[in-house]
Amino acid sequence: MNKKGLTPKDFISIGIFTAIWFVVEFVFGMLGYIHPYIVAAYVVMLPLAGAIPMMLFYTKVEKFGMLTIMSILIAIIMFVTGMGYLGAPITILSGLIADLIAKSGNYKKFPKTVLSYGVFCLWICANYFPILVTADAYRQDLVDAGYSAEYCENLFRAINPHTIAILLIVCFICGCLGAFIGKAAVKKHFEKAGIA
Amino acid sequence: MSAKLDPRTKLYMILVVSAVVMMSATTPLLWGVRIAMTMIPLILLVAEKRYASALRFTILYAIALVLTFRFLSEESTGIVESLLIGYCGIAVQFLPALITAWYVVRTTKIDEFMSAMQRMHVPDGIAISLAVVMRFFPTIKEEYASITDAMKMRGIAFGGGRPSKMVEYRMIPLLFSCVNIGDELSAAAITRGLGGKVKRTSVEELHLRVFDWLLILAFTAAAGIFVVFKYIL
Amino acid sequence: MSENFIKIKHVHFKYKGSEKGLLDDLSLTIPKGETLLLTGASGSGKTTIIRLINGLIPHYYQGDLEGSISVAGYDIVKTELYELAGVVGTVFQNPRSQFFSVDTDGEIVFGPENIGMETGKIKERKQDIVSEMHIEKLMGRSLFELSGGEKQSIACASVAALLPEIILLDEPSSNLDQGAIGNLREVIKRWKAQGKTIIISEHRLWYLKDLVDRVIYMETGKIRHEWSGWEFAAMDSEKVRSLQMRPLKVSDILASDFAGSDIQTQEISDGVVLKDFYFSYNRKPYLIRKKKFQQNDEGLSLCIPKLTLPKNTVIGVIGHNGTGKSTFLKCVCGLEKDCHGIIETDGKEYKGKERLKICYMVMQDVNHQLFTDSVQGEVLLSMEEEDKERCDQILQSLGILEFKEKHPMALSGGQKQRVAIASAIAADAKLMLFDEPTSGLDFCHMEKVGGLLKSLADAGNTVLVATHDPELIELCCDYVLCIENGRVGYLRVVERS
Repeated sequence: MNKKGLTPKDFISIGIFTAIWFVVEFVFGMLGYIHPYIVAAYVVMLPLAGAIPMMLFYTKVEKFGMLTIMSILIAIIMFVTGMGYLGAPITILSGLIADLIAKSGNYKKFPKTVLSYGVFCLWICANYFPILVTADAYRQDLVDAGYSAEYCENLFRAINPHTIAILLIVCFICGCLGAFIGKAAVKKHFEKAGIA
Repeated sequence: MSAKLDPRTKLYMILVVSAVVMMSATTPLLWGVRIAMTMIPLILLVAEKRYASALRFTILYAIALVLTFRFLSEESTGIVESLLIGYCGIAVQFLPALITAWYVVRTTKIDEFMSAMQRMHVPDGIAISLAVVMRFFPTIKEEYASITDAMKMRGIAFGGGRPSKMVEYRMIPLLFSCVNIGDELSAAAITRGLGGKVKRTSVEELHLRVFDWLLILAFTAAAGIFVVFKYIL
Repeated sequence: MSENFIKIKHVHFKYKGSEKGLLDDLSLTIPKGETLLLTGASGSGKTTIIRLINGLIPHYYQGDLEGSISVAGYDIVKTELYELAGVVGTVFQNPRSQFFSVDTDGEIVFGPENIGMETGKIKERKQDIVSEMHIEKLMGRSLFELSGGEKQSIACASVAALLPEIILLDEPSSNLDQGAIGNLREVIKRWKAQGKTIIISEHRLWYLKDLVDRVIYMETGKIRHEWSGWEFAAMDSEKVRSLQMRPLKVSDILASDFAGSDIQTQEISDGVVLKDFYFSYNRKPYLIRKKKFQQNDEGLSLCIPKLTLPKNTVIGVIGHNGTGKSTFLKCVCGLEKDCHGIIETDGKEYKGKERLKICYMVMQDVNHQLFTDSVQGEVLLSMEEEDKERCDQILQSLGILEFKEKHPMALSGGQKQRVAIASAIAADAKLMLFDEPTSGLDFCHMEKVGGLLKSLADAGNTVLVATHDPELIELCCDYVLCIENGRVGYLRVVERS
């Protein structure tokens, strides 16, 4: 059955789950403006909060392309909502790799799914990309744009080339951790109800 | 004559606005350009008779601008001010993109959008998925409203004080609804021929009219000014 | 074209993952131009037949299928779904979930565009369909702001736009009120006159009885009875009742002309008193100071200065769609924050959020109000202090004790409703509100709901039930409250013969 490639139903599922994931991300993303450390904490919050829908998503499509297309959609949405396109290649790349990992486990093996979701979550770090690549210019930009020096100071203390590695690792770990929580929620509700 | 734009013009507007949003304004001239650019989608919203959202955005943007310029500066510290500065800064920074995106999403029909995607040689699958994303935001909103009503009625809006329950009680019913709706939606779409081998047609004929070209020109100029003044001069 | 347009031969079918088969050696032939009604209890296989004909089985819903199905010369098993798009059209049950676009125009042309029709032709066809169905006033609007009936009209139009020879309708009236059902009837009538082959799966029978050529009664995956249209129309009500079908004739309990004696609310000495319920959607109270709605405000969606409801009774709330039934329920139980009504009962006043404590609404879509992973958990969640014994008692009294450990979402629609009612009882709600509890239920389940509402009233609750089903009112209501344009039309006693 699964040999046919993505069907229209799959494309619709991808659309639905992208919408849900984006709403989740948007809600938590709003918190980031309270304090720059929260921006850094995205790597913890988003993988955990998004895990439940994503784990359900993994059981719904189970075909190559599901994560790649989702990441393309996320890149497009991020671009449309003004988050820039610097991070787009990273987003799509992490989606593609995540897809390949999940495919190697036929979208059924849970350990592969954990790994795959961990990698998928790395796109969150793509949001930090402008901060890293154009650090000085970006900082000046922020100050000019009316951010306080304190906010910038904190932002750069939290996110800079030294911390990015840590952020990436934390993001990956939280992704894996989230996968377990998400899977538990899927088992508790959706499998028990017979729709996953 | 209506102010109906070609969806490709709208996409181009988004492209330019989000690029400009990333380059912050440093001089009064650039601020002027940026504010002018924000005015365009606002005017377009009015032209489409979406007065309420146009008004809301204008007020929001104006407040953010005034606050940023008048009261806050590099030296501001303290909880309240840094909170305020965070929000105002972000509002001033990203509202132009948000307004443009809002305008585009609200005034572009799914059909026009699919047709534009096809014209730009975007694969059908991605076009379908994106169209579903657009259609699904209002659905999520509706479902979520019903769920929060139900939560209020049962007095579990705060999950008994446990954050994990707060998330669970919101997320689980929402996912159940979305999955069900998705199933029914797919069935209905497929029985009406979605995903066939034939090339899709569209009744929305796309033409770039004079007005479209004018806007494209204006936005290109704005982007040009930004690049020239920020990076060359 | 062959005489027998649709041929289903010896079909067995079992959904993937389910234990028991749904269709059991079913054979059915349908000649071209026939209007066929499929009826029978929920789960008897009506919907499965619809899905066989439109190809969703086996291409979309997977399972074990044996036998052959041919529709207009196509072998369904070997035909891709999109090839059937111009041949078979389907109107589904839920108007909320079957549209793809966000605007009405886009939805009607969606099908023809998918099959790659020439744009000029599509436009012509859209014009024809729109004027034929008299839906000009719905054009150019967002689908999200339409009522259920209007959405269903658009769904019919979008199916018709593909000019299919065969039209299937899967419980199309489930979410519609009387007026919208009347429109639906007109649409079906027109299709019939155009010589289309029409197959309808439905519980509500009154609006179809003189339209159909043949009626098939299903039971546990088999055809149990078959009648010609006129035999069916002439069937006496006792036989209808013995087969657990919904009545063919809706007695005169229509919203407009419900006969019965008015009661003046002053006559009720001990009742639930609603005071100062005013609400409007149009005018949000503004910015700084929240303005309270007043009785003489203009454009109120709800205006009830004082209303006394007889205690411990079942009160049917009727009125056309969009006249404020749902608004009324939401305001009473305190979900609309800007409605500051007061509920008085047993000498106590309940204001604002306190209302939520004594009221409980069972929503039309119960899925929204089930949160936990077991039926027991659902009931315990409503209790101030968890009391497992009482929980068992409640579940027992509702006949769902056996599902105690199951996930609420794994249950059938009727069972879910009972779970919601169980949590209402557990929450000690005195005023229970039901929003369309029987839409889409077969007669057997409707009877059960009716019995349940009565027993809730006998146990000391006051039950308000908004409904479009005259049958339900006849079954269980003591009073009927008619809402017209957000005002109380009348409150009358239901007189039973």
